[in-house]
Formats: sequence, structure tokens, C-alpha cells
Amino acid sequence: MHPATLRRHAPLTLSLIAGLALWEVAGRSTSAAFMAPVSATLERLRELALSGELTNQLISSATLFATGFALSVIVGMPAGLLLARARILRVAVEPYIVILYATPMVALIPFILSMMGFGFAPKVLVVFLFAVFPILYNTIEGARSIRPELIEVARSFRSSEWALWREVMVPYTLSFTMTGVRQAVGRGLVGMVAAEFFLSSTGLGQLIMGASQNFDTAGVFAAILIIWILGVALTRLGFMLERRFAPWRE
Amino acid sequence: MSSSALAPSAALRAPSSRFADVVVPRLAAGLGIVLIWEATVRAFAPPYVAKPSGILLAIPRVIVDPAFLAATGSTLAAVAQGLAIAIVFGTALGLLIGRSEVADRALRHYVNGFNALPMIVILPLVTLWFGYTGAARLATTVFAALFSIVVNVGDGARSVPREYIEVARSFRSPRLKTLGDIVLPSAMPYFLSGVRLAVGRALIGAVVAEFFIAIGGLGYFILFNSRSFRHDEAFVGVLLLAAFGVGADALINWSTRRFLPWYRRDEKGE
Repeated sequence: MHPATLRRHAPLTLSLIAGLALWEVAGRSTSAAFMAPVSATLERLRELALSGELTNQLISSATLFATGFALSVIVGMPAGLLLARARILRVAVEPYIVILYATPMVALIPFILSMMGFGFAPKVLVVFLFAVFPILYNTIEGARSIRPELIEVARSFRSSEWALWREVMVPYTLSFTMTGVRQAVGRGLVGMVAAEFFLSSTGLGQLIMGASQNFDTAGVFAAILIIWILGVALTRLGFMLERRFAPWRE
Repeated sequence: MSSSALAPSAALRAPSSRFADVVVPRLAAGLGIVLIWEATVRAFAPPYVAKPSGILLAIPRVIVDPAFLAATGSTLAAVAQGLAIAIVFGTALGLLIGRSEVADRALRHYVNGFNALPMIVILPLVTLWFGYTGAARLATTVFAALFSIVVNVGDGARSVPREYIEVARSFRSPRLKTLGDIVLPSAMPYFLSGVRLAVGRALIGAVVAEFFIAIGGLGYFILFNSRSFRHDEAFVGVLLLAAFGVGADALINWSTRRFLPWYRRDEKGE
């Protein structure tokens, strides 16, 4: 290998090997209920995958996440555009959006539980509440940053409100919405796991809970690994979408 | 109404006053939200469900309740401790990966990886490691807060203008002194936006930990009261949490403007 390439990749390779070794040693040198080594975690992951349990729980979690997330895009984007367009409306509700954005949404879970019970809908609501605000907020900020000239030009060509939205507002704002979507991925995943922990136990959350109640630490690590991969993959996807819709933003 | 209190852009738009333009619509919207909430709950929901009038009546009762005060103190202490630990270690780690290319290549993937992990999944692990104790809650808040500080301080330390460093080098400034006198102040805005994220995450961490571990605190206060169908009382806890979130945000925005006026990254339009 070329020495420069070697120097470039050596720190990463070495640190990955060191990290895995540390995980393995830490797992082996402590009690099995405390920490599971990589080898045991991967072995458990293989068992879970072969038994079909992993697939089932993954599908259950993915359905929950996708429903809640889709809802927050469907609500967040049009609402954001509307608020950016209607100045009086935006001025009126902006402080309340800021307050809700800064409120730890988890605190609402006990209320959702006692009012809506254990079904699918309350869990979707939790994911929605976690994910919607970054999307809404970034859409408003994006649509507000449209240069007034663009709207004035459209107006002087007698563009209808509908055409203005379709040709100017939506295409311009989409990249900002995608920034919100990327930020919302992490929050939405927290919402998903929180819903699965604290409302009816399903999906990957149930996998973690069940494993930890059985002191199956390898199972806990295996489930965390899957959620982590999900988080990294979805965040990557968010970055890709952001770039895809914003070739003109630096 | 004194014009000196107005922002310059608003002053230019005068004579239509800020009061009619901004305050009235906001108050109207707030009133509207409260009325719709009150009416909906009265019409459709069981009587225990929180509604504005009930919450208002509960506030004077709750804020003198010693149990509530103890819960608030306990949660805030855990958040403050967790943030302090996260800030010390997060800043050190951030400076390291921001200024050393080797450290960056070696550690960046771990930092980004942990940052992408929904922190709530570690709850079962921290209870395994620390038991159902306050230490488990503290560990959750540290874990929740740490990585946003590392990432932001790292970005800040990386983006120090090269000329600054070169000037320091040519005056033979020792590396540690350069770090303290140039890199750290220059990374300050990034640090503050990292802290702003961290505060929110630490609050969430403390609340979910209390739900999970069932130890005394605001989160548990909310859980306990809503389970015993005292939603109005429980909601006072939510309001307090929201106030902390908003207050911390405002404090950090204010300090950025007050102490780092040269910083203009996320300057808002109006």
C-alpha cells in the first residue's frame, strides 16, 4: 500500500480494531449480566435473525417510525409554508412553536398513555410530536429566506397563489425542509424507542426490554446495535436527501 | 411608546406600531389556543384530563408542595451535574479531535456513532451498571449531553482561521497557550450552540431516566400524578420543564449576542 494512503487510514483502522478489542476484553472480564463481548453480541444477533424475531420486531418498529415520520412531514411542511406566507399568522404563533420545540416532549408521554391507552395511535402520536418541530421550524425559516424579488417577479407575471407555491415556494424551501427531516430522524428514533418503552411494549424497544429483564445482556447489546445501525443509516439518508434537493446551497 | 425600545428594522417600518403588529396577534393566538383546549377538554374528554383552568388552579397548590419542590431540585441538580461533567469532558475531547488530525481520524466515527445513537436505548444498560439509583440518572444525562458538545466544539476548533494559528506560531506561543487563548475563544459560539443542544438533551435524559428508574424528580412527579389521574397537577411539572428548556435557550442566545457580538452565523432575518 502507498505510504500516504497507509498514514491516512491507519488511525481509523487501528482505532476500530482497538475499540472492538476493548469491547471484547471488557465483556469477557466482567460478569455476563454486566457487559457482553462483541463475539457474544454478534452470536446473539445471528440467533435473533435466524429465529425471525429480529425481522418481526424490526418491521414493527419501522412501521411505527415510518407512520409517525410521514405524518410529521405531511403536517410540518405545508404548515411551515403557510406560516411563512401568511405573515400575521406566523407572527402570532411563532412563540408558541418555539416553546413547544424547546419542551421535552417525553414529559407528555404519561398523559398520552392515560388518555389514549396502549394502541398503535398513541405511539404514532409520540413519534409525530418528536419529529414534527424540526421539520416545521426549518420549513418556516427556509420559506422566509426566499428573496422577495422572486415572489415579486412571480407576482408581476400574474402568477396565481397556487402557481407561486408550486413553482417558487415549494422548490425553494424543499432543501430546508430536508434539513429539518435530517434533524428529525434522530428525534423521531428517540420518540419511537420511548413509545415502545413507556407505552405498549413492541418492536425493538420490546426486544431491549425483554432481553434486559432476562439479564440477556448480549441481547440488549444486539438490539442496541440494530437501533444504532438504523440511526446511522437514516441520518445518512437524510444528508443525501438534503444534498439531492439543494444542489445550489453551499 | 418609546421608539428607542424598538429594533432598528421595526423602527424603520413605523408608524404601524409593534404593539398592533406583533403583541396583539400573539396574545390573540395564545388566548385562542387556551380557549380551544379548554372547550375541547370540557366537551369531549373525561374530567381528569388537564385543561387550562384546572392547571391555573393547580399552580398555587403545586408550587408550594414540598414534594414538588424536592422533585424539581433533584432533577435540576442531576441535569446541572450531568451538564458540568459533559462540558468538561466534551470540551476536552472536542478540542482534541478538532485540532489533531490523527485523533480526528481515529475518534470521529465513535463520536458520530454515539451521537447518532438514540440515547434512550442505554437506559436498560445504565440500570444494569448503576442499579435503579440517582447515579443511573446522572449517567443518562451525561451520555445524552456529551456528544453534542464534542461535535460542536470539534467543529469550532477545526474552523479557527489558519492565520490566527500561524500568528501564534510565529510568536512562538506554546501549543497549550494557543489552545486556551486562540482556539477556545474562537470556538466559543460553536461551544454555546453545543451547550444549547446539550441542555435540551440532558433534560430529556433526566426525565426518561426518572420514568424508567422511578426515582424522585420532575419526570417521576409527572408520571406519578398522571397515573393517579391528577393531570392538572402533573401538567404544572410539564410547564416547568418547558420553562427550563425555553429559559436555557434564551439565556444562551442572549449570551451569544452579549459576549460574542462578532459572531453572525445564524443571524435571523427580522
